[in-house]
Amino acid sequence: MARCLPQLSHWRHPLTRRSLLRGTGAALALPWLEAMRSTKTRASEKDDHSSSDAPTRMAALFVPNGVRQDQWTPEKTGRDYELSPTLQSLEKLKDQLLVLTNLWNQGSKIGDGHYVKTSGFLTCTTINKSLGIDLNCNGLSMDQVAANHSGKETPIPSLELGIDPVTTGVDTNVGYTRVYGSHIAWSGPTSPLARELNPRMVFERLFRASHPKKATLKRDRLLLDRVLTDAQELKLKLGSSDRQRMDEYLQSVRSIEKRLQNQQAGGIKNWRPLVELNPKDRPEDDAPDQYPEKVQLMLDMIALAFQTDTTRVCTFMFGNAVSGRNFSFLEGVTGGHHDTSHHQNNEDKLRQYQLINMWHIEQYAYLLEKLARMQEHEGTVLDNSMILYGSGLRDGNSHNPHNLPILVAGSGGGKIATGQHLQYGRDTPLANLYAGMLSAFGAKTSTFADSTEILPGMLT
Amino acid sequence: MRSRSPKFASTILLATLVGMITQPQSARADEDAVMSDAAVVAFLRDHCLECHNAQEAESGLDLSTFSQAADVRNSVTAWAKIAARVGERQMPPVGSSMPETETRAQFVRWIHNTLSKQLCDDGITAGQPVIRRMNRTEYANTVRDLLGIPINAGHALPNDGAGGEGFDNAAETLFISPIYAEKYLQAAKSAIGHALKDPADRKRIIVASPNEERTPNQAARLVLSNFLSRAFRRPVSGSEIDEYAALFDQAFAVDDSYDSAVEFALVAAMVSPKFIFLYEQPSKPGEQTLVSHHEMASRLSYFLWASMPDQELMQLADQEKLHDVDVLTTQVKRMLRSEVDSRGLRRDSKVRGFASSFIEQWLGTRALGREFKPDTSVAPRYDSELEGGMKYEPIFFFEDLLSDNRSLLNLIDSDFTYVNRRLASHYGVRGEFREQPKRVELKKSDRRGGLLGMGAVLAVSSLPHRTSPVLRGKWILDTMLGTPPPPPPADVPALNEAPSASGEFTSLRKQMEAHRSDPQCASCHNMMDPLGFGLENYDVLGSYRTQNRGKPIDTSGTLPDGTQFDGSDELKLWLLKRKDQFVRNLTRKILGYSLGRSLTGEDSCAIDSIVETLAKDNYHTQTLIVEIVKSVPFRYKQVAPPTN
Repeated sequence: MARCLPQLSHWRHPLTRRSLLRGTGAALALPWLEAMRSTKTRASEKDDHSSSDAPTRMAALFVPNGVRQDQWTPEKTGRDYELSPTLQSLEKLKDQLLVLTNLWNQGSKIGDGHYVKTSGFLTCTTINKSLGIDLNCNGLSMDQVAANHSGKETPIPSLELGIDPVTTGVDTNVGYTRVYGSHIAWSGPTSPLARELNPRMVFERLFRASHPKKATLKRDRLLLDRVLTDAQELKLKLGSSDRQRMDEYLQSVRSIEKRLQNQQAGGIKNWRPLVELNPKDRPEDDAPDQYPEKVQLMLDMIALAFQTDTTRVCTFMFGNAVSGRNFSFLEGVTGGHHDTSHHQNNEDKLRQYQLINMWHIEQYAYLLEKLARMQEHEGTVLDNSMILYGSGLRDGNSHNPHNLPILVAGSGGGKIATGQHLQYGRDTPLANLYAGMLSAFGAKTSTFADSTEILPGMLT
Repeated sequence: MRSRSPKFASTILLATLVGMITQPQSARADEDAVMSDAAVVAFLRDHCLECHNAQEAESGLDLSTFSQAADVRNSVTAWAKIAARVGERQMPPVGSSMPETETRAQFVRWIHNTLSKQLCDDGITAGQPVIRRMNRTEYANTVRDLLGIPINAGHALPNDGAGGEGFDNAAETLFISPIYAEKYLQAAKSAIGHALKDPADRKRIIVASPNEERTPNQAARLVLSNFLSRAFRRPVSGSEIDEYAALFDQAFAVDDSYDSAVEFALVAAMVSPKFIFLYEQPSKPGEQTLVSHHEMASRLSYFLWASMPDQELMQLADQEKLHDVDVLTTQVKRMLRSEVDSRGLRRDSKVRGFASSFIEQWLGTRALGREFKPDTSVAPRYDSELEGGMKYEPIFFFEDLLSDNRSLLNLIDSDFTYVNRRLASHYGVRGEFREQPKRVELKKSDRRGGLLGMGAVLAVSSLPHRTSPVLRGKWILDTMLGTPPPPPPADVPALNEAPSASGEFTSLRKQMEAHRSDPQCASCHNMMDPLGFGLENYDVLGSYRTQNRGKPIDTSGTLPDGTQFDGSDELKLWLLKRKDQFVRNLTRKILGYSLGRSLTGEDSCAIDSIVETLAKDNYHTQTLIVEIVKSVPFRYKQVAPPTN
């Protein structure tokens, strides 16, 4: 069981000089008042436009190193099933939950035990074996398909979050760069998306995106124009061999350009959330660097981002592939995550593995409950969301991508048939689930990667 | 998707595996007997074809069609791998027909000679011109040096993954996600904002203000021509100054403040790709060209400082002196300098930018406190000062080698190291120490010296709660010798090293012996396990111990070639016998770091010649750096020629 978490307020400190000097603090220290004021006026202006037709949100939570398989799958199927031991903490959310059995990710079968199963988790493709050159996931991740659809509707197209920095080095043992094990979101075959690792910075980014400083808007656009022109100039100068990075930078600059343009034009959307981002929810700068607290703060950020409709798509990694994170903060656990997952059917290791699995599910439940408490119009944010939870391999000891541990919670605005344990035929494509989720998201597609159909029974 | 010419793709293929050629160049000398093609065919038939034949092609390798040396040309990667596996006695597997030791050596030598002939006889060729963004560390250092203020402007940027030789400055893995432009904008605003607050710093940046003699626009031009050439690390053209002056005018027109309009133009320069990217003019395709003088200044400074060129380098570039090898040598020595103060402490030095980025990534010690955190049950007194001491020990040690031009072999064994107060007591080393690491002479009884005596190395090659001889053995093979063992076969359960439920720990050695009785496991574990057991006198955090859980520790072992050794001292002697292989691997790593890219087959020819020079020069560290800087891959660029 997780130790009792300290109340957040216990370690909230006033803004220190140090935090100001660190940089971003300074940029945000002053505009609170202005921001609050503009929030109020804009909210009243926009009331006429508000609609009860709340948008659908989608998140994917990735857990490294698989699960203890004999404790994961519920025994019975259908609506009248009982949660398995590992899933116990989801009891209150059972009606909102979909447990899926026998999905697999064929693309990640070959290669190595971890990297292909991480970068391929949301792409359902086989990534190139590479230490760097010719790194390629050969597809794009399903969250990015969703973001391509909804990105124009919100200030931020999608959020990519994590806890562990990109793992250092290349794995010469198996011949993959560890970049692969540190990313699940890919906006294109050669573009893994960098993740934000600091909850406070996530908040600041959400805030900046939804509360533009009027005074600097016009200037910032001038500045970005200059930068874009420089980038175009370089692109011509550099010849054809390696324009890709410059293109990526151009796109990156254009995306804020576009956002500023929208903000200058007075907003982009017809739908307005009931809730505006509140500066008091900003995580402290000096928060202790403890894993469980940091995970919960990140999950808080997902909830805020969804509640305020700053973005509708989010991915989160509890850890990188092969994470050796020491879980001894859990009573009864002494080892690192990866080492424990190689349990070799040793009873003590299996017991510890199970405790680590259960802790992750508790965090999932924490996010779901939080979303379920967020009212919006007739329902809750959870009702209007689809929160995927899963790992790229089933049993950490054998690394196989058959019968993956996969859950979905929230009905995506009544479109997902939650409250069931659905068991499919052996080796049903995981992509069939993603195809269904994308369809429920409204992404105007019913296929994804190697999907053959939408999972029967998953949609209402 | 990126399309690459077939020619380029095959170069890449070479890149990945030619690194596995691990034998010293000197072995190419003609004093050794050379195998004939027929003898190679016979070797393959007697020792390899049982599994690597047309039908089974174990591990995808079919050697049945080989008939002559020219065949190697078509599968350089495979042959480099064969040399490594056979050379390390991982192949043929235990229980199959074994070659005589001398025959084995001849076979490996034949492969090296053949590969080297195929790749190097046409001369050493250069790689592509540089184009990559600065990584997070380089960005922070560059902003610090550009603005002259001690801030970490990179703290909000995403951190970078590694590619190629394992470093986060590899062009191929320096991606740009949509999040970057916004991060750069925020970081630049904040950094410039801070710099302009302090009057002295401000004066250095805003070098001119409007007065009776000059208009605001004229003053801004003076500021910009000074700032832009430093930010872009090259002379700027008149039209570039015009462009940024126009930006100043636009801002000045809206808001009548000179300072804020100048600040605005400077922020723009720092978000421009001309600042963010390190890039070089492309050469004519297929034509090997010296990098320009200013490009050379940046190659040097990002290699040895992980930051922008200083004034002296820029001046030398302006004077077009950076093609002169003597000038380069003098500059390298200057750049590697790190001062020691009167208390014997190494002051802040720019070369630390290289020492820390390189050594932490090469050794994997960056993981300490990140991916690797020791369990409190085995490390109850682990705290930030100890962690700091552990992390900085290899960095300061390497900085010492660089600055004082000591032998690279100190990395294998040395009579000094660097410790702070906590690490000194952790090691039981006597002396007066404070929080900052300080050089200390080691006595034999200290049982330290070299990388393998360092706590950080011993920790990151352990599990959080106990040591792992397998991981430590693998660390030596991979990190020090450049011959990573292959991953365990998928259908073999991993070795159960855990103590039994009753806590009996003596079984570890026995368990591993049992494990090695499986020939599939034995071919690699016969090497890894004894090497790792040689370090068992060091616990998870590298404290010296003579017993574990009440039982005496047995550190003896026999390597596949019959070498017997006991404990870390004899292990280091064994490594010293393989110094050529060690130095070759280190050269490869530093060359890869210096070029910021994956190495190619052609680069390994440069490595050959550098290693040869080093051996003649007693492995002096500065010689290695100077030779890298003087090498063709470092001084030249070449856009791949068009195909067909």
